Amino acid sequence: MHDHSSTSGRFQRTIKLLRALISYHPALFSISMGGAALFAVCTVASSWLLRWIIDEVIVRRFDSQHFSLSRTLAAVGLLLSLSLIRAGGVIVRRSFAGRAQWRTAQSLTDEVVDVLVQQPPQWHRQQSTGDLLTRAGVDVDASVAVMAPLPYASSVILMMVIAGYGLISNDAILGIAATAIFPLLIGLNVLYQRRVDKWFDIAQGELGSLSAAVHESFEGVTVVKAFGAENRETERLAVIASRVQDARVEAIRLRSLFEAALDFVPNLTNICLVIGGAFRVRSGDLSVGELASFIYMFTLLVFPLRLIGYALSEMPRSQAGFERIQTLRLSPMLTDPRLKYAREGIALEMRSVSVGHDPEHVLLNDFSATFQPGTFTALVGYTGCGKSTFLQSLAGIIPFVCGEISSPGNNVCLVFQEPFLFGTSVRDNVCMGEPFGDEEMYWSLAVAEADFVHQLPQGVDTIIGERGVGLSGGQRQRIALARAIIRRPQVLLLDDTTSALDPNTEMKVLKNIENELSDAVVIAVASRPSLIGMADYVMFFHQETIIGPSQHLELLVQSGPYRALMQAYERPTEQVSAQSKDLL
Amino acid sequence: MIDSQNNGAIATLNRGVRAVPSLRQGIGFTVFLALVGASGRVVVPVVIQQAIDHGLHRSSKSSSTTAISQTVDVRLVIQLCVGAAIYLLVAALAQRTAVSRLGQRSEAALFELRVQLFQHIHLLSLEDHNDEQRGSLVSRVTSDVETLSQFFSWGGLAYLLDSALMVIVAAVMLAYDWVLALIVIAISTPLVYVLRRVQSKLIAAYDATRSANSFVLGSTAELVTGAETLHAYSAGSIFGQRVKKSAKARGDAQTKATMIGALLFPSGEIFGAIAVSMVVFVGLWRGPSSGLTAGALVGFIFLTYRFLEPIAELTEVLDQTQTAISGMRRILGILAIPVGPEAPKYPIKVGEGPYDIDIENLSFSYRPRDGESEIDNRTVLQGIQCTIAFGTQVAVVGETGSGKTTLGRLLSRFSDPTVGQISIGGIPLNRIQNDELRKLLVVVPQEPFLFSDTVAANLRFAFPQATDKQLVDAFSNVDLQDWFETLPLGLDTLVGQRGSQLSAGERQLIALVRASLINPAILILDEATSSVDASTEVRLTRALDKLSRGRTTISIAHRLSTAARADRVLVLDSGLLVQDGSHDQLVSTPGLYSEMYKSWEMSHNSTD
Repeated sequence: MHDHSSTSGRFQRTIKLLRALISYHPALFSISMGGAALFAVCTVASSWLLRWIIDEVIVRRFDSQHFSLSRTLAAVGLLLSLSLIRAGGVIVRRSFAGRAQWRTAQSLTDEVVDVLVQQPPQWHRQQSTGDLLTRAGVDVDASVAVMAPLPYASSVILMMVIAGYGLISNDAILGIAATAIFPLLIGLNVLYQRRVDKWFDIAQGELGSLSAAVHESFEGVTVVKAFGAENRETERLAVIASRVQDARVEAIRLRSLFEAALDFVPNLTNICLVIGGAFRVRSGDLSVGELASFIYMFTLLVFPLRLIGYALSEMPRSQAGFERIQTLRLSPMLTDPRLKYAREGIALEMRSVSVGHDPEHVLLNDFSATFQPGTFTALVGYTGCGKSTFLQSLAGIIPFVCGEISSPGNNVCLVFQEPFLFGTSVRDNVCMGEPFGDEEMYWSLAVAEADFVHQLPQGVDTIIGERGVGLSGGQRQRIALARAIIRRPQVLLLDDTTSALDPNTEMKVLKNIENELSDAVVIAVASRPSLIGMADYVMFFHQETIIGPSQHLELLVQSGPYRALMQAYERPTEQVSAQSKDLL
Repeated sequence: MIDSQNNGAIATLNRGVRAVPSLRQGIGFTVFLALVGASGRVVVPVVIQQAIDHGLHRSSKSSSTTAISQTVDVRLVIQLCVGAAIYLLVAALAQRTAVSRLGQRSEAALFELRVQLFQHIHLLSLEDHNDEQRGSLVSRVTSDVETLSQFFSWGGLAYLLDSALMVIVAAVMLAYDWVLALIVIAISTPLVYVLRRVQSKLIAAYDATRSANSFVLGSTAELVTGAETLHAYSAGSIFGQRVKKSAKARGDAQTKATMIGALLFPSGEIFGAIAVSMVVFVGLWRGPSSGLTAGALVGFIFLTYRFLEPIAELTEVLDQTQTAISGMRRILGILAIPVGPEAPKYPIKVGEGPYDIDIENLSFSYRPRDGESEIDNRTVLQGIQCTIAFGTQVAVVGETGSGKTTLGRLLSRFSDPTVGQISIGGIPLNRIQNDELRKLLVVVPQEPFLFSDTVAANLRFAFPQATDKQLVDAFSNVDLQDWFETLPLGLDTLVGQRGSQLSAGERQLIALVRASLINPAILILDEATSSVDASTEVRLTRALDKLSRGRTTISIAHRLSTAARADRVLVLDSGLLVQDGSHDQLVSTPGLYSEMYKSWEMSHNSTD
């Protein structure tokens, strides 16, 4: 009882899925169904035609020894025109089914894209990258995979209904016997797909891990060679490769078994039909032509049955893919943290602000400060002390826990520690879709000391990234800087942005910013003493509190830990100077 | 008349089989089984013919309307059918075994090929392992081997089963009536041409689809990984539009491919209808006088369909064959690259030391790549000559492109010099067994690579037998006990992909600990260029001090502070050793080093 209700539940879910998928492009789908119906009718008609040709043309010709040209031409003409119409049906069915399938995939991709761009970063942080990409890629493909075979499958069912009726009305016993084989074959097909797919999926998964391991092993080839681990690595990879092999062999073993069975069962059925047919022909209930068309019809339906099996076995995967896309689409939209910021005054002000990734893990508590326009503040502290979190809260990348922040306008730009460049031109990466002119762009690139872009093959229109030229870390950071500078921000936040630049270029960039964006509040994470030396104020992050903003020299007096840190920076230099002094 | 391309394909195939000889094992028996299996496919048409002509025979005088007068030999039909059923079972088993044998044999052979590739690629010299080539090396062992696997499990199978089927069907048709058989064969020939034409268009359309799809996936990935940047610059909707546009382009490409596919599929069917029409027409026209029977004609109609089925499948496989052959060619290309420094034929054991390093008349130039003439080849090092006494701290300095990194590589024997040689303790590097060399000399690369695993696993990469205690001790041995205690899960801390959970400086710390486990006589350090935060910097300096004690250390220095601490500085300029001495000597001598030092000092003293 329970089993039955779950089956009907599954059936309802399948119907719901199909309706949802069809609702994206109902017209395309309907045309395809029309083609499928034409195909089904013609197929059944061709089996009737074959019967007529055998009984009324072939047998008659061989029995009567008389060649009738008109009859023969009629047979050939009908045969040809019917298969032309049938081919037309196939073309309409396939082309429109494909169109419906791929346009639906496009609509689903659009939906996923909308979610990805509308949700703020704190939502993205809760998701795993791999999972989101799976939903945008594999899940979309899986959802629509069931659409293409659907018109075909329905036409097969239509054929079976017509042919089954034809078979049964022609000869009830043989008809019922033949049609009884269909569900068996469908079942066998579904079982086949599910069992074999399982192993192909496993093989695919293992292949993925092989790929990752191979990539890692080749990437680390210097280490592999440094420790003479070539053989060890080969063995390690061979173990993964053998897992791919095992899964494949298992799939092949099952496949060979099922393929043979799927060939054997219909052939055996045909043989049985001949035996049954012999009795029916003897009793005069069936003509030879009818028997042949019976067998032809049956043979015609065997291959499509495999497709129904395929479609049915794909159904759970489509269902899962579609549902995963829908949960993504229906997940509640989180609010943009920037909406919580007050836009007033001329300075950047923080009043009793607490910062952290969530209320339970506050990194910095109850902090107040005012940053005047035209000042440069350096953030100093050990790794993991919350400097980046602090900057990201100021920029509205993550929401601050409590307190108030007011900034002089909307124009707050953060340049990240790891610059992210898009796989498009330098120009698009700097302008990010805003209509900046060439002059502004070249100015911003000059301020960021990114003049190297003029040496790129197509200048600012050179495509960068995987499909274009590769850039060094320092070059990437300078483009990311230009991206912020071109917006002439009132508040410019630099998260250790300049660390991949050599010290000279770093100094030049910061001087340029000081000169060209003279009214901006600049706050930067500093990992080099030279940068601290340039700053008007320093904020020292130490043990979950912030000391400052104060001047560097004041801090040296105020804070022991700060002094210790500064000495740590200078030690290598000091040694050198000491030695060189000795020499003098 | 074998054209050159085919010739190439066959040559590639032969070379491939030579590389993996096990491919050929037992292929004869597999082909035999496939033939038996395929013959099962003609059983049904033959049975129908036999039944019509003999079992369902009726007196030729009676007309078909008086069906009652038919004499049906049910006994004969049953005998026929039972025999056929048994034969079908045998054929099914034979087919099953053939498919399974082919699959297992080819998978085993591809596994062998993969392992061969792993081994070979790991042994290639570092020049063949640069960043641009890594992707292609990876795809040789993954996707190229995959195309071969796909080929064997679909294409190879189709060749085996379909050609067997065609041969058998053609034979049976010829036996029935050679005129009709020739008609069917003649009509099928242009089908091959049509299918090839449409298929090549379809392949191109699918390629376009795939590249459109990878663009959609790539730009979607940017929306995910660049989410923070997009948010920070309010550019989400613009870049979202970009993805949507690419999704539309993908939809267009897919629609086009579907259209071509929709045209391809029924063409086999139309040819089938033409062939059957011709068979019917000619068969009827010639009539029984030619010895044809009604049963044979009906059986022939079924055989015609059976004959055309494999043609469509085989033409489809031709493209797969081309893909597989070019995959094979690429794989053989990799196997043809000579491995990096070769293992010594007559190794010499390195004694107990002292492990002085002698560099004699050392020159190195990159071997010309395809399309480059010998004249273009780039000389990186020229005539380097010096001796490094055991226990010396040496810094090699020079500008980018001066050849200092190459010198480090030659010292580590990641490459062999073009001219000259390097010896350790009097033994040339190329006479020392690799295992022994790697215990004697350890390299810490510029960007130390960590495997996506635990700290312990990364350390054990150097010394697999190390106990946990040895690993923990290794940290305190280089004064990193305090840092070790900050690792959240100690030795079990996961370092992430390429060590991404750790900062650049911390990755270097792990690399130093890893090197220390070997306790080598010689340490080669390729210094990192990027700056690290102050506390890690302090730790690195401390750990390096500890680690370099009691051994020769050669630092490929990017920072002059390292050079200042060394006993001896080698200054390289455009591949030549231009200065050699202590830091203090060199600073006071006019020359490249003192200039470099001056400008470095200026940029570092702005703190005051």
